[in-house]
Order: sequence, then C-alpha cells, then structure tokens
Amino acid sequence: MKIDSGDTAWVLASAALVMLMTPALGFFYGGLVRRKNVLSTIMHSFFILCLISVQWVLWGYSLAFGPDKGHIIGGLEWVGLNNVGFTPNADYAPTIPHQAFMLFQMMFAVITPALISGAFAERQRFKAFVLFSLLWATFVYDPIAHWVWGAGGWLHNLGALDFAGGTVVHISSGVSALVAALVLGRRLGFGKRKVEPHDATMVVLGAALLWFGWFGFNAGSALGAGALATSAFVVTNTAAAMAALTWMTVSWWHKKQPSVIGAAAGAVAGLVAITPASGFVNVMGAIVIGFGAGVVCYLAIQLRERIKVDDALDVWAVHGIGGTWGALATGLFATVAINSAAANGLFYGNPRQALVQLVAIGASWGWSIVGTFAILKFVNLIVPLRVHEDEEVIGLDLSQHGEPAYATINAN
Amino acid sequence: MDATTVIAVICSVVVFAGWLVLPHSATTVKPVVIEEREPVRVSA
Repeated sequence: MKIDSGDTAWVLASAALVMLMTPALGFFYGGLVRRKNVLSTIMHSFFILCLISVQWVLWGYSLAFGPDKGHIIGGLEWVGLNNVGFTPNADYAPTIPHQAFMLFQMMFAVITPALISGAFAERQRFKAFVLFSLLWATFVYDPIAHWVWGAGGWLHNLGALDFAGGTVVHISSGVSALVAALVLGRRLGFGKRKVEPHDATMVVLGAALLWFGWFGFNAGSALGAGALATSAFVVTNTAAAMAALTWMTVSWWHKKQPSVIGAAAGAVAGLVAITPASGFVNVMGAIVIGFGAGVVCYLAIQLRERIKVDDALDVWAVHGIGGTWGALATGLFATVAINSAAANGLFYGNPRQALVQLVAIGASWGWSIVGTFAILKFVNLIVPLRVHEDEEVIGLDLSQHGEPAYATINAN
Repeated sequence: MDATTVIAVICSVVVFAGWLVLPHSATTVKPVVIEEREPVRVSA
C-alpha cells in the first residue's frame, strides 16, 4: 500500500475542520442558554475535546476499530496506539497513514458526547458530566462505532450504510440526550417562564462554523481527495441550505415570522440528516433529505414541548430525529451511480436496503437508551447528577467554575 | 426524470412558493424575562 499525499492532506485538513466543530458547538449551545450558564455550556464542549482526545488514543480507538471480537467490539490490541502507525490499514483507508485515519475518527468521537451536553445544560454538575462523558464514550459510542464502521462489526456486515455518522454520531447522541433529559428532570421554572437565548448572534456564528466544519465531517469521510469527496461536499451544502429554507418556511407559517435562530437550527438539522447519506446520494436526494429534515425536526420540537420534556437545547429533535430521518433516507435514495462500492436504495430498486437501515436505526436507538440510562444511574451513585437548587439559581458559571462570562467595568 | 428528482422538485416548489404566500405579521416585541442575578462588577 502506497501513501497518497493528496488523500493524506485532505484527511488531515478534514480532521482539523471536524475538530473546530466541537468549540463551534460550544458557541452554538452557549448562545442558546441564559447568560449565567454560558461559560459552563461552552466548557462542556471544550472539556470533552480534551477528555476524549486522550481516551481515544488510550483505549477508545482500539475498542471502536481494533481487531473484531464477536462482531460486537474491537479488541485491546491497539490500546495506546500500539500497532497503529504510519503504514496504511487496508480495512479502513488504504491510501493514508493509519494514524491519520485514527485522528480523523478521534474528532467524531469527541463531538458526539459534546452534542449530548445540550440536553442537560443549565443543571448538570460538572463532575458528573465528566464521569458520564468518559463512560458514555467507552460503553455507548465505541461499541456502536464498531458495529457500523469497524471491520467485522455486525451492522457493517449486514450492509448498513452510514457514510459519516447518522447512526454512530447523531442517533446515539440525540437519543441519549432524550434519556438524559428524562433522568435529570426539568430545570427550575421550566414551563412557567420562557427562557430566551441570551445571545442569538453567538448561535448563528456557532451554526456557521458548524456548517464550515461539516465539510470535513462528510467530505472528509471519503478518506480521499477525489470525486466522492466532491459529491459529499456538494450534497452536504445543498441539504443544509434546503433544510434552513424549509425550517424558516414552516416556522414562518407557524409563528408568523421568519426566525433567525430557526434558520440556524434548520441548517444544523439538514447537516445532521445528510450525514449518513452524504457519500451515497445525488444532489436531488440531498434536496429531499434537507426538506424532510426541516419538517420532521421542527415537528419533533413541537412534540417535545407538548410532552414537556426539558431537553434544553433540543438535541433529540435535531440530532436524534434528524439522524433517524437521514439514516432512513439513505436507504431510500442511495445510488451506486454516486458510490459504486455501496448499494442502491428503495427508490433505485433495492427495498432490502431500507430494511437494513431500519435495523441499524433500531439497534442504535436501543443501545443508546439502555447504555445511557445505566450510565446515568451509575454516575448518580457516585456523584449527584444535578447541582443544588441554589447553585442552579445563581447559574453554573459561578457555582461550578467560579467565573462569570461577562463582567461589567466599574467606572470608579 | 426519476422519482427522486420528481420529489425534489415538489419539495422545492413547496418551499419557494411558500415564501411568496406567507403572511408577515407586524412586529410584536416579546417581553424578555430577566431572571438572573445582577452582573458581577469588576473594578477597572
């Protein structure tokens, strides 16, 4: 196997793009919370970047991509990056150094638990958050990544299509967010007073940076600089734009005005939904996927509000439902005209692919629910998940970190 | 034209046509509830 310098450069650059998404997520989430919680919310993302970067090289990569054990999990042969060097690995990426592939995958492992943090924003104890994130990455993310992407993983063997993480990243985080919101309970005053985002400009900036980074997320998943990466880039941008347009249309019809935050949320929903499909669908498929994301994710938020679940930043509606729609749509609109190594979907004469996608969706939902619930209950035995009421009232920035986000200057 | 293209065109028409017919209500300023502590003052 010969290392291709172009492919290597693209994958390394893509890893950097995906890395940027995690702090961008922090700003996206940070703008949506009240000003007394903005630092703690940003810290969730920033801290996870540090935590999972170390977890991944120590044992996470080995569990997710190491030599297969019973089609369920990777072995420990690659712990500490043992046997993970610069020679390409034929199973994963035959034209780039194995460590470049490992690094690219690390950034996916980083952002996934960071996504969940939006569900328990403004009320989770920091120490509990740290322990939960470490356990969740190990016992929920790593196994699902192995099932879908690992050589020998059972969903991989079944033929499930997930180009960049619809099941592995978005369903797992979105569904886990719903479980976390239910287990932690509602914030003080939830439903009695409307909580307004403290900085809409920060939300839009975060969403724009997420969109930018998503080109690395999806087009980088081609693991090479060529036609497939280009196609993934095009459909990613198209779906994001279409979902933002659709979300604004639906919210305009519903709320009588086009929402700026709605446009940002719609773009993110489209990016989520195109993620699993980005290497398998053409641009027409991307338009349908973006349209669907704008509708179903908006409706999911209305449902979440109606049943009074305090998923603070709507992680389940955008990532859980958006990811589910995207994974299913992959089984509908995938075509070998885009990716000859994959399979056709239902609309191209292969109904079996839609059924396989449903199995992958069900497995991801199931393991995320069970694993997240068990981890939260375990963590709660060691350290309380929630802060005290008085700490919640003064805000997590001061109660958890001892730092205000914004200070006023005393003229005296 | 394949089925995917037909659906994509319908979706696009729905969105673009929707923007033409949607009403725009007069701006109503929503009261923002401030429910936080006073900002911490730091001496310059």
